[in-house]
Amino acid sequence: MKKEKLRGSIILQVAILFALGVLVTGLLTYFTQQELSGQSVKRQTELYASQISDEVERSVTEYPAWEWLFHYWYTHADAMDIDYDEEFTADSMTAGKCRLLSQRHPNLSLEYARAEELEQLPEEDQKLYAEITYSWLITRLNEIKQACHVDFLFCVVTEEPYDTQFFLFSAADPGAVRGTEYEEVYPLGHVVTVGESQQNAMRSARENHSYLTDAGNYMDYYASFCEINGHTVLIGMTYNLTDLRASMTAQSRTNTVFAILNQIGLSLICLTLIFMFVLHPLKAVQENIRLYRDTKDSREITKNLALVRPHNEIGQLSEDVTDLAREIDSYLSRIETITAERERVNIELNMATQIQNSMLPNVFPPFPDQGEFDIYATMDPAREVGGDFYDFFLIDEDHLCMVMADVSGKGIPAALFMMASKIILSSNAKMGKSPAQVLTDTNNAICANNPQEMFVTVWMGILELSTGKLTAANAGHEYPVVKHPGEPYQLLKDKHGLVIGGMEGIHYKDYELQLQPGTKLFLYTDGVPEATDAENRLFGTDRMLEALNRSPDADPVEVLGNVRKSVDAFVLEAEQFDDLTMMCIQYHGREKG
Amino acid sequence: MLNITKAIENDNAVFSLEGRLDTITAPQLEEAIKSAVSDLSRLTLDFEKLEYISSAGLRVLLMAQKRMGQQGEMKVVHVSDTIQEIFEVTGFSDILTIE
Repeated sequence: MKKEKLRGSIILQVAILFALGVLVTGLLTYFTQQELSGQSVKRQTELYASQISDEVERSVTEYPAWEWLFHYWYTHADAMDIDYDEEFTADSMTAGKCRLLSQRHPNLSLEYARAEELEQLPEEDQKLYAEITYSWLITRLNEIKQACHVDFLFCVVTEEPYDTQFFLFSAADPGAVRGTEYEEVYPLGHVVTVGESQQNAMRSARENHSYLTDAGNYMDYYASFCEINGHTVLIGMTYNLTDLRASMTAQSRTNTVFAILNQIGLSLICLTLIFMFVLHPLKAVQENIRLYRDTKDSREITKNLALVRPHNEIGQLSEDVTDLAREIDSYLSRIETITAERERVNIELNMATQIQNSMLPNVFPPFPDQGEFDIYATMDPAREVGGDFYDFFLIDEDHLCMVMADVSGKGIPAALFMMASKIILSSNAKMGKSPAQVLTDTNNAICANNPQEMFVTVWMGILELSTGKLTAANAGHEYPVVKHPGEPYQLLKDKHGLVIGGMEGIHYKDYELQLQPGTKLFLYTDGVPEATDAENRLFGTDRMLEALNRSPDADPVEVLGNVRKSVDAFVLEAEQFDDLTMMCIQYHGREKG
Repeated sequence: MLNITKAIENDNAVFSLEGRLDTITAPQLEEAIKSAVSDLSRLTLDFEKLEYISSAGLRVLLMAQKRMGQQGEMKVVHVSDTIQEIFEVTGFSDILTIE
């Protein structure tokens, strides 16, 4: 059994695909989660910040005189004597200030005082009022800051080009230190210079009402509040997002891990299903194909494959393979029959060849007692049997009859027709008729029963051995070649009648030729002049005469050999297409015998 | 290789032959003539481009000549010298109308 080369397994290939899929899904999930949570944080923060900013605005605008107060705080920041982050008890400094102001102006409502009323107060009392409300407001803002977990909550005054911030108020957690140092909560009137990003943020907030900057773990929010004396008041907030982001990242990772586990689980299920429903039956089919290859036994694999019948393409494949094996089996048995048949035909053809050969005179020299002539002939059929034939026999002691003939077509039909023609010709000739009479009678006999419309060309000559007188007739056959002593071989352009079998009632005519001692006569069929080379060129009678004249003194055996060699040299590799038949007789005359 | 170009007009047909008319291709011409011959009174075979004719081809000509001889006429035109020689050698020049 041939060892099969492992060409990789489907499971492995699919598993690799799944692994790549899991990797891609994992990465996509992780980055999408990150991106989404980032956007969500930003949206939430912005919403939350705007609510806080609204709350701050409400706290401020509760005071009818808030604009007057803003202006006062801004212009008197350095003079203000403020008690920051105070607990409002009865002893507190602000409570004292309230009592003092109420004594001086019993009609003044501290919470609802209007700007016009405040303008009427003496300078000292205006300052008292501004200090009281500032303390109240800062306390309120502190509460908001603590409630909302904002890192910084402040209100600043700025103006073109937004490079400074004047701190109006800044909320603080309990215990926070007020001061102008880094990480301290700035007091009223502290001015800081800011960088470009803060400038842009404030300008954007001024133009678009609010603005959120995302600076990694921090987010700054500015909301435009109001304008005083050409200055812009902004509410600002800062969130520290470090913790939030860390928890978001952790969440993203968890989600990603879940997604990957999910994918791996699905992949494993898929692989298992593929193995169960595809690979396992496929392997069974494959094993049976190999079994069939080695045993050529379709019954065995039909039995095996009948068990592999899932209701899908694999089941179809299994069925197809079974059918294929059965067809191959029946095809093989058919081939065996055909081969046996061909073998039988070959044997028959071989016998036919032998019969045909034995029909032609093939013992040379044929008449050892007759010294008047030498004769030699060959027939070389293109197939096993041929339609060409030659014949020669003595009619009586002084008369030699020679026949050269060519039946139309080739193979078995031609061979059968040739046998009939040969027998009719020789029987007629042996009755002592002249060649023309033999041909005429033979033609009539053949035409009487020739439904296949076959025909045969015949040259027949009867040589009177004592005198050398040749009487001949030609029924559509090639011109004979004659060589008289001292002359070259040349075509004898004799009179032609129609081929035998062509038409009933044809009368052929005899002609005579006197042979000298030494005269040679060469007869052939069209297989010689029509021998064809690979480029479809014909050998032709010119080349044939040339070959003959190259050895003018050759005896009949050599003559035939020379012509054959010349034809072979011309044709080379091309297949012999037509029967090749030649006969040569050399007349010696009686005195030599 | 044999190409037969057929031009049939009513009972008058011209078959132009191109190539070689031998054992392999003769059945082609035989089939062409047999399928057309019953309706014809004149059949012209144009041999202008025919390179070679073998005895199998001659047999088809003989068949055609016999059939057409009974119902009309057949002629062979534009016969090359090579083929004319074959016709003469085989005696076909005596029974065919060659122009």
